[in-house]
Amino acid sequence: MNSIEVEGLTRKFGGLTAVDNVSFEVSEGEVFGFLGPNGAGKTTLIRMLTTLIKPTSGRARVAGVDILKDPDAVRLSIGVVPQAMTSDLDLTGKENMEIYGRFYDMSGREIKERAGVLLELVGLSQRGNDLVATYSGGMRRRLEVVKALIHKPKILFLDEPTIGLDPQSRRTIWAFLEEFNRAENLTIFLTTHYMEEAETLSRRVGIIDYGRLIALDTPEALKSRLPEKDTVLLELQTASDELAKGLERLDFVYGVKRQENTVRVYVEKGGQVIARLLQRVAELGGVVNSVSIKERTLEDVFIHYTGRAIREEEAKKVSFLVGAGAPRKMPGR
Amino acid sequence: MTRALAVIRRDLLKFRRNPVVLAMSLLMPIVYLVILGNSFQGKLKGLPIGIVDLDNGPESRLFINKLMAIEGGPGTFRLARMKDQKAAVDAVRAGELKAAIIIPEGFTRRSLSLRRAEVGLFVDNTDGISATTVRETVRGAFQLLRLEYISVREEGARQYLRDVDLYRKVDYDQSLVPGVIIMAIFLGTMTSGVFNLVMDRFLGVDESYLLTPLKKSDIVAGLIVSGVIITTTVTVLVSISGMLITGIPFGGGLQRCGLMFVVIILTTLGLLSMMFVLLGRVAHPRIVGLLSGFLNVIFFFPSGAVYPVESFPSWLRAFAKVNPEAYAVHAMKAVLFKGAGIGTIYGDLIFLSAFTAVMTAAAIALFKRTL
Repeated sequence: MNSIEVEGLTRKFGGLTAVDNVSFEVSEGEVFGFLGPNGAGKTTLIRMLTTLIKPTSGRARVAGVDILKDPDAVRLSIGVVPQAMTSDLDLTGKENMEIYGRFYDMSGREIKERAGVLLELVGLSQRGNDLVATYSGGMRRRLEVVKALIHKPKILFLDEPTIGLDPQSRRTIWAFLEEFNRAENLTIFLTTHYMEEAETLSRRVGIIDYGRLIALDTPEALKSRLPEKDTVLLELQTASDELAKGLERLDFVYGVKRQENTVRVYVEKGGQVIARLLQRVAELGGVVNSVSIKERTLEDVFIHYTGRAIREEEAKKVSFLVGAGAPRKMPGR
Repeated sequence: MTRALAVIRRDLLKFRRNPVVLAMSLLMPIVYLVILGNSFQGKLKGLPIGIVDLDNGPESRLFINKLMAIEGGPGTFRLARMKDQKAAVDAVRAGELKAAIIIPEGFTRRSLSLRRAEVGLFVDNTDGISATTVRETVRGAFQLLRLEYISVREEGARQYLRDVDLYRKVDYDQSLVPGVIIMAIFLGTMTSGVFNLVMDRFLGVDESYLLTPLKKSDIVAGLIVSGVIITTTVTVLVSISGMLITGIPFGGGLQRCGLMFVVIILTTLGLLSMMFVLLGRVAHPRIVGLLSGFLNVIFFFPSGAVYPVESFPSWLRAFAKVNPEAYAVHAMKAVLFKGAGIGTIYGDLIFLSAFTAVMTAAAIALFKRTL
């Protein structure tokens, strides 16, 4: 059964088409990642699916409900972690969760029990009575996530959930999301421009650029479609053409390039064949000084489909804005 | 209802955690009373006047005594005795004095011989309000001098005007208190209610509750009710402070207190709902700041809080007919100074209730539930 069904969804702002005829489905309990650079249309798409803005055309059903026909029912079924930090700084972590729970007609007892479990899970139970203004960025982001789960939603939407966080905080949130996905069969729809995040969390990934969905599949399937293979880089004491030809004859090797004592070997699934490759080098009399593997990533997939990389500078720009509690961006992509 | 209560609780908690806003809401109307009461008084006081007596006769001394009586009584003047008439006029030109009075030599002689006796009054007429006051007051003193003179020589029919006050005396500072109460309400409605929505929108926090099942009515009603609680609390404190500072008696029992409370609540509701209509879609607090000064001027000054509505030009009187603050000031003055009951102010209460109903309906209709 599908949790999200999107058909020809389009949103225009004047002459700008932020989301252009996007269609896809997300099944129940799936973690679905939407990957794309800033301005690609991720936030606009998530805002349409969470009823914050209306589409110009197209249809979408979330938790089995049409987003235009019954937005209230959609809101009851979803939890959302917006890109900006939305918790009240003047309230404590617990008060934020309590008030949010009341918005869903939860009783005080229900809220207390659920908030206790959630805050414990993300390591905030000791700080629950402190004002959010005293929290670090990572703590605030963790609070945002558990706040969105207070009413046990069926689907959790996360818009760039780990933007601006250090790697450790990022991994804490990933682990937490994975656990909830398993424990509560929670469908997770997340947008990100972090390749690792999309690859680690998502069963399937959609790549969006200039408002268009340009690729959609599992990370492995997307990578396997690339014409380029994994590259094993060998630094040898002495390399020869004979050694290169000897490696080329291996059944898992697609090609070999030698440049003095550096040999590049193109293989499928470099991590799995590295031991056999090194054994063959030794048999051919080569002495290895160093070895490294460059595996294909979703970045390569993105470059393949768009001809450019998702630049880190864009991420920095956004993390600065979010960290500063910046005003909402103009309704754009 | 639970959802709207959650909106109210959130707002109240946030307000409580901001003691600066609380203190400012309380202090500003009181400071306003002190500043306005002392800078914008009903009658001018302490105008520096130089006086040069070149006559030194009984008539000139009598005239000076009349002026000194004004100085000691209403305090319109601060008299400075001078010897040199040129220095006195120069001091007026330099802005050190508002006027110089020169009593020429032979003034007494000419007065007693019933010839034309003149006194020179040199006024800084660039300050119109002061000049008018100086002229009228000096002329008044001069009239007294002539009356006294005539009364000795020509006893005639005397006419008296018996002046009866219908209510207890209300001095200028006390007369400002209803305006200060309305000002406190205005300031409260500008810093609570819809202002919190504007701030949430500015910080992007509104997204979190727009994503929940809260209905438009939950959000609007919740913010208005929390605004009423905050504004009413602050206004009651300001009212008590204003009455204590200016010496307005607290008598009148429960009815007076109750009516004052009703007027405060209805005015607060009216202004909060009106602010929602005006600012419900604003996304930047700077616009609120800009509008607050403007709205204060267009609603407060034509309210009758400082000058009577009846003295306005016809177009401004027409505006006062739909100005909720005018009804609030009228009701508050009646309750505070005349001890009026509901029979006197029911028209004001009906207007404020109807205004609130219309504005709240408009606020809910105009509020945008999406981004």
